[in-house]
Amino acid sequence: MSLLTRLAARQLLTQLRTTEWRALLLASWIAIALTTLLAVLGDRLERGLMRESASLLGADLVLSSSRPLTPERLQGLPLQGIQQTPVIQFPSMVGQGDNLMLVSVRALQAPYPLRGELVTEPAGTGIPAPGEVWVEPRVMTQLQLQPGAQLEFGYQPLTVSRELLASPDRGTGFRSFSPHILVNAADLDASGVLAPGSRANYRILFAGSSAAVRTLDQALRPTLASHERIHALQADQPLTGNALGNALSYLKLSALIALLLSALTIMLALRRFSLGQHTRSALLLNLGLRPGQLVRVYLYQLLLAWLLTASAGILTGFLLESAVYQWLAELLPQALPPAHWLRWLSGAALGLALLVLLGLPPILQLARIPVAHLLRGDAPPRDRTALLLQGASMILLAATLLAFLEAPLAALGLLAFLLLGGALFGWLAQGCLLLCARPLARHLLLGRLLLMRLRQQRQWHRLQAAVVVMLLTLLSVVWVSRTDLIEQWQAQFPSDTPNYFLINIQPWQKAELDTFFAERALDTELYPMIRGRLTQLNGNPIQPQLNAEQQDHNTLRRELNLSWRAERPAHNPLVAGDWWQPGDTDAISIEQDMARELGLELGDRLGFDIGGIAVEGVIRNIREVVWTSFQPNFYIIFNPEALQNAPSTWITSFHLPAEQRALSRDLLQQFPSLTLIDIDQVLTQLAGWLQRLGDSSALILALSLGCGLLLLGVTLLQALEQRRFESALLQTLGVSAEQARRLDLLEFLLIGLVCGGLASASAEGVLAMLHQWLLQIPPRLHGELWLLLPPLAAMVFVLIGWLIRRPLRLDQCYRLLRAG
Amino acid sequence: MSHLNREKPLIEAQDVAKSFNTQAGSVELFRNLDVRIMPGESLAIIGRSGAGKSTLLSLLAGLDTPTEGQILFDDQPLEQLDDAARADLRLQQISFIFQSFHLLPELDALDNVRLPLEIQGRKDADAQARHWLQQVGLGARLDHYPAQLSGGEQQRVAIARAFATEPKVLFADEPTGNLDDDTGQQIIEQLFDLNTNAGTTLILITHDIDLASRCQRRLHLQNGRLEEVPA
Ligand SMILES: Nc1ncnc2c1ncn2[C@@H]1O[C@H](COP(=O)(O)OP(=O)(O)O)[C@@H](O)[C@H]1O
Ligand SMILES: [Mg+2]
Repeated sequence: MSLLTRLAARQLLTQLRTTEWRALLLASWIAIALTTLLAVLGDRLERGLMRESASLLGADLVLSSSRPLTPERLQGLPLQGIQQTPVIQFPSMVGQGDNLMLVSVRALQAPYPLRGELVTEPAGTGIPAPGEVWVEPRVMTQLQLQPGAQLEFGYQPLTVSRELLASPDRGTGFRSFSPHILVNAADLDASGVLAPGSRANYRILFAGSSAAVRTLDQALRPTLASHERIHALQADQPLTGNALGNALSYLKLSALIALLLSALTIMLALRRFSLGQHTRSALLLNLGLRPGQLVRVYLYQLLLAWLLTASAGILTGFLLESAVYQWLAELLPQALPPAHWLRWLSGAALGLALLVLLGLPPILQLARIPVAHLLRGDAPPRDRTALLLQGASMILLAATLLAFLEAPLAALGLLAFLLLGGALFGWLAQGCLLLCARPLARHLLLGRLLLMRLRQQRQWHRLQAAVVVMLLTLLSVVWVSRTDLIEQWQAQFPSDTPNYFLINIQPWQKAELDTFFAERALDTELYPMIRGRLTQLNGNPIQPQLNAEQQDHNTLRRELNLSWRAERPAHNPLVAGDWWQPGDTDAISIEQDMARELGLELGDRLGFDIGGIAVEGVIRNIREVVWTSFQPNFYIIFNPEALQNAPSTWITSFHLPAEQRALSRDLLQQFPSLTLIDIDQVLTQLAGWLQRLGDSSALILALSLGCGLLLLGVTLLQALEQRRFESALLQTLGVSAEQARRLDLLEFLLIGLVCGGLASASAEGVLAMLHQWLLQIPPRLHGELWLLLPPLAAMVFVLIGWLIRRPLRLDQCYRLLRAG
Repeated sequence: MSHLNREKPLIEAQDVAKSFNTQAGSVELFRNLDVRIMPGESLAIIGRSGAGKSTLLSLLAGLDTPTEGQILFDDQPLEQLDDAARADLRLQQISFIFQSFHLLPELDALDNVRLPLEIQGRKDADAQARHWLQQVGLGARLDHYPAQLSGGEQQRVAIARAFATEPKVLFADEPTGNLDDDTGQQIIEQLFDLNTNAGTTLILITHDIDLASRCQRRLHLQNGRLEEVPA
């Protein structure tokens, strides 16, 4: 081993005993572990569920439509050398007896899939034979099925012949997360579950040589109707609007906090470290070491530290990832593929960037220290180059972090928010501290000293308060909202809120269904539902008349559900205009948010494309719609005279008390083509996701809290000499060691209480905003926060302060004073 | 002293001035200083605290540059040397002994002495280091770390380290300042013994008159002037 590496190793070994190096190692360990966790988990989720890869699509190219795809649709397309197969996917209630669940059904024809494979238990090839059904494990458990059991599927009982462990072509959006069953398309007609006009996704999968697929893709795109989509491989893009993708970026953003805190910890630790290295560097330079060699000694030391933390970090990242994956496993539709091996190294790479970028500026400074420092104690020169270097490394670091987070704008926004919020909390905390200390100063001997201390430590107090308040706020909000929000949200609904939607009702079933409900004394109302696109405003195409944000509005990008009625729906009060009279054929009613966001007013003439037929209407009134009322709700309602001849299906919702659940079975037996959606089940599934998301971000925030505590320790360390000197001075001036200790205790207690109080207040504020705007329910106070946070924060300060600051004996005081 | 005039001086300060820019304006420590230091000579610089002794020392050793005038080392103007060349000069020809010892705490006595030799790339580093530690009477404590040695012993390690590289000049800035009188006395004895044997030029800063009187020449730095003090 060369002299330089030996020196570096020895240095590191000695430094390991110092608090700043321990903080540095812990901080980079957490940063590396967290980054590894997110990079690996994110990659697995993306590869498994979010990217349009061949094994995920089950094909090279998919044409997807909300209307049936007939063979005529493909006429004139270049299909030489192309294999194709149709798939129909739709939601349906299936079950055994009273035990029903909502699943996503895929009706298949061989060959299927064209790419990737179906993994089943028992293993085998092909697709379900007619009369058979393959179901996913979640269906097996929830319906308590055994292999060979019968599953009621409309009029057609099917035999569960295999368990489906993994499959491509799960479809997009929410349906890809529902439990799936696979049936043979031949069983579809006999079962009667899919009537004409029912909601379903119709797909044709294509596969072939890449040239043939490209030709087909190019020929297909210009012919796409508005209700059709193409999913292809070449754009390896994450699916847009994917809730899972949003959740993932949310988790990555919350990791930004931990990464920033570790970076700050490492920076302060290195600052303190390098301050202690001035004499040593000057000595080494004086003994003949060249500046370059000196830089290398310190870089080796950093690299050694990196090796240490990277191996620990990757291992921890592995353990965390396995744990989080276990959590998610029961919610995930199928097992995820392993991550690309490079992802395992991304945490270590980020750690290296952190250490080197933060370490290089102070190290280069050390190499420039004048040897005369040994005679006089000069600090290294702080000139433009030093500042430039520091600035450059900060920018590089920020760029690295942003690149890792893959959402630069959101991350920048969060960064700005954290800085602003932090500054605000810092100042607020300082104000509160002074407010509390003034009365104390009048009554306590220590009070006056405390005021002095507060003035002297004000910068550190600001930083500490900013970090602690922000972290406690975030942590409390996530912790509380994790369970509280959904419960509160659900609790606000009256007990007779509908808990079932019934869709795909054919016009000719309406009378029969009314009788069914009347016999059972269920109060329901059926609404017709017609799909159409909004295309015109006042006689001209609507798009050019809108601004960019409006053009991208949800109601313009897809087909709307339209309805017609003679009377105003009881649950939709009018906010403008009046309801129409018979004969006002072209009057329409619009939902208020849509009207406001698109800038539509009473009297505007809107044109719709309903299955190729143009229909016009004049806005007669504006309705308020509470979408969460679980009543059938529509953006646009027409006068019956305008639309009642258009092809429609009907929809209704109703409340079924728990003891009447059996009724749903009767309903489906009598009307197998209806789709019954159990809102409770859907909400439970959603709540499960939100809870896991909350748990995951709480885990990340807990790690951030760890970083925050380290940072707190390091900031207390920065002022340690000053504190020690002051304490020594006080003791020689006749203050007892006990009193000096109490002064520290008082300071920590006070700042802790202030931080805890501020955190409670700001957490209440954020929660109140969430209640008010997200859930639209009145906010409530969280007394437990006010009781818990202040003592918790005070304890944290006292504990860390106690760990870092050991009391000073009198003889040590003299020595300190003489040296100072 | 006539023979000295025949030889060339090892270090020569010509009309040197030094001032600092502080917040309160420019402060001049001294000006028009001239010093000639002959090879093998021992020289004491005395003066009260704050007189500028350490500053003068750092000028003579090429650690700092004068505001005016120039310093010649072996006839070579130091200002003409770049940083690397000056570092090389220090490595090969100059050693220091400091008031606060400045040993590396994580290296034992032997490694502390061996360090500059290894930096020089000398093959006999180990033997040399052992030899010099023997010379200062610490042959039995090679594997002791600085924290396990008394102040006097630490300073002796520093002396061994200074002589081990066989420098032409040895600068000592108040080497006994942190030691009690008796120990200081012993250290001084050792320093002068080794110096005589090795024929090193010794430049010593002290405010101890006894100590100064053991040097061949004494210069008193006072009010920015340097005056020769007769024996
Ligand atoms: N880099 C500097 N900048 C400003 N003042 C300095 C600097 N170095 C030394 N001084 C001042 O020069 C004076 C002499 O310092 P020094 O040479 O250390 O004195 P001595 O060693 O004789 O006690 C002191 O007042 C000191 O404050
Ligand atoms: Mg001095």
